[in-house]
Amino acid sequence: MLTRKQKRSNWILVVIMIAASLFFLFPVIWMLANSFKPDAAITKDMNSFAAFVPPALNGSFFDNYVKILTDTSFVRYMLNTLFYAAVLIVLGVIVNGLAGYALAKIKFPFRERWLMIIMLLMIVPMETIITIHFLFIAKLGLLNTVIGYILPMIVNPFNIFLFRQVFVSLPDDVYEAAQLDRCSPIKYFFTMVLPMSKSVVATVSVFTFLNVWNDYLWPSLVFTSGDLLTAQIGLNAITSNDNTTMGQKLAVITLITVPVIIIYSLFSKQIVEGVVSTGSKEG
Amino acid sequence: MRKKSQSLLGMAFFGPALVLLTIFLFLPMILTLIFSFTDFFALNPSLTHFVGLDNFLQIFQDEEFRKAFINTVCFVIIIVPLQGLGSLGLALLINKVTHCKKYFKVAFFLPVVMSLAVVSTLWMQIYSPEGIINSILENLGISAQPFINSSSQALPSIAIMSAWQGVGYQMIIFLGGLQAINPALYEAADMDHATPWQKFKDITLPELKPLCIFVFITITIGAFRMLVQPMVMTGGGPSHSTYTMVYDIYETGTVNWEIGLASTMAIVFAIFVMILTVIQTIATRDKEGKDVDKKAEKK
Repeated sequence: MLTRKQKRSNWILVVIMIAASLFFLFPVIWMLANSFKPDAAITKDMNSFAAFVPPALNGSFFDNYVKILTDTSFVRYMLNTLFYAAVLIVLGVIVNGLAGYALAKIKFPFRERWLMIIMLLMIVPMETIITIHFLFIAKLGLLNTVIGYILPMIVNPFNIFLFRQVFVSLPDDVYEAAQLDRCSPIKYFFTMVLPMSKSVVATVSVFTFLNVWNDYLWPSLVFTSGDLLTAQIGLNAITSNDNTTMGQKLAVITLITVPVIIIYSLFSKQIVEGVVSTGSKEG
Repeated sequence: MRKKSQSLLGMAFFGPALVLLTIFLFLPMILTLIFSFTDFFALNPSLTHFVGLDNFLQIFQDEEFRKAFINTVCFVIIIVPLQGLGSLGLALLINKVTHCKKYFKVAFFLPVVMSLAVVSTLWMQIYSPEGIINSILENLGISAQPFINSSSQALPSIAIMSAWQGVGYQMIIFLGGLQAINPALYEAADMDHATPWQKFKDITLPELKPLCIFVFITITIGAFRMLVQPMVMTGGGPSHSTYTMVYDIYETGTVNWEIGLASTMAIVFAIFVMILTVIQTIATRDKEGKDVDKKAEKK
């Protein structure tokens, strides 16, 4: 039984935490509230509590958003990024999945040694070799092309390892039964292995999407012209343009965050499990 | 026969990944190592010489690289306690709070969802001379601060912003760790009339210690790799006060095309990060060993 004193201190903690969370989130609240205002109102409200309150719902409420969606190429950049993410999810699951399966279930020469090498590769920071990637892509004449952007990002030692850890515990008798039915290994992989491992496929896909959506350095190196930019690079192009008003800038950064919030709310279980497991299994 | 077909099948499955690994990981790593001993200049490759350890001596005499190195270390020193203790504190509070638990988790995790480029763009508006922080300070009677526009405040300003962005991630890790602590330990402590502080000091902290090591090193590695924030917000300035190691690698290699020098910096950078990772791995091994011991004890 809780004493009255304990109950009261519990509620005091809740109230303090709510205040702390609002203080913590003030940049986000300010961003949302002001993304609906014209610049004159943003400046006028800045000195009062109105800075954190959205304006009254009237005809010009969505003006900043409409302006961004119709007058800039932002929609195009968002669609570009969705396309790159889709391609990289499909290629990444196939290439890293096949490799993970080979390391888990197929006895081929030096398998254990390859596994060791993959684990060692996981600790190499990508920033070390990004200069050479850039040199390769430039020499191949692939700068400012989709292929040049995608090619170095397909293979991922971490994902290979993740697939391997899951595939290793798949039952062998299903494979033997499939072999009796003369099912080819490739067909077996796509019709049996992947469907049996939906959760790891989902995890890898979600993290690939987040990585593509949030990546900044590599796309900023590869893409120089407007048509192919990813959303993050497009964001920089739009906000550094002098004609973009403050309200419009805030509208863009709100828009660019929406897809990620959708992904997080749909897959929050996988993501939290992924975050916690990197902390407790490997950590 | 069966064995041979297995090895063929294995290579067929592993092959595509192996080709890409070779081109985009093994080869670049070997080339980075080789180039770090040369004066390779990508715009005039025919003039390349082997220069031995000259690059390594040169970068540590180079004013910009030294500045970048010191800035990176300063950034680490500011952000690690801020983000590490911040996330631990939040996790402890959220673990204790009785209502709205889910809301608190979402609220403090929200900035993690936003990318670094987005957060940097947003905080440029917030830190601006006429921005919201300065107008709040003005209402409190404090004079306006330059934040990212001054060489003394820019790096701490970026560190605070980065800690704000990342703190929710480690908070979730700590919450997972707190929930994994055996409740029987606290029940036993309650029977002994232990104070909350004693419980924290003698149960929570020792149980979380391996996770703390993991989290603090993760934050350190992340901080070492810092690049996007100054790239978006300050361009490394004012007067190189937010120039970082990775920023120097990036500019030397891809803007000035001095691949030799950039490779040397990359090697120095990689050595630091890999030492940290190895320490982390050893610390975690310890933890797994302890877990096994505990299970053995129970039996």
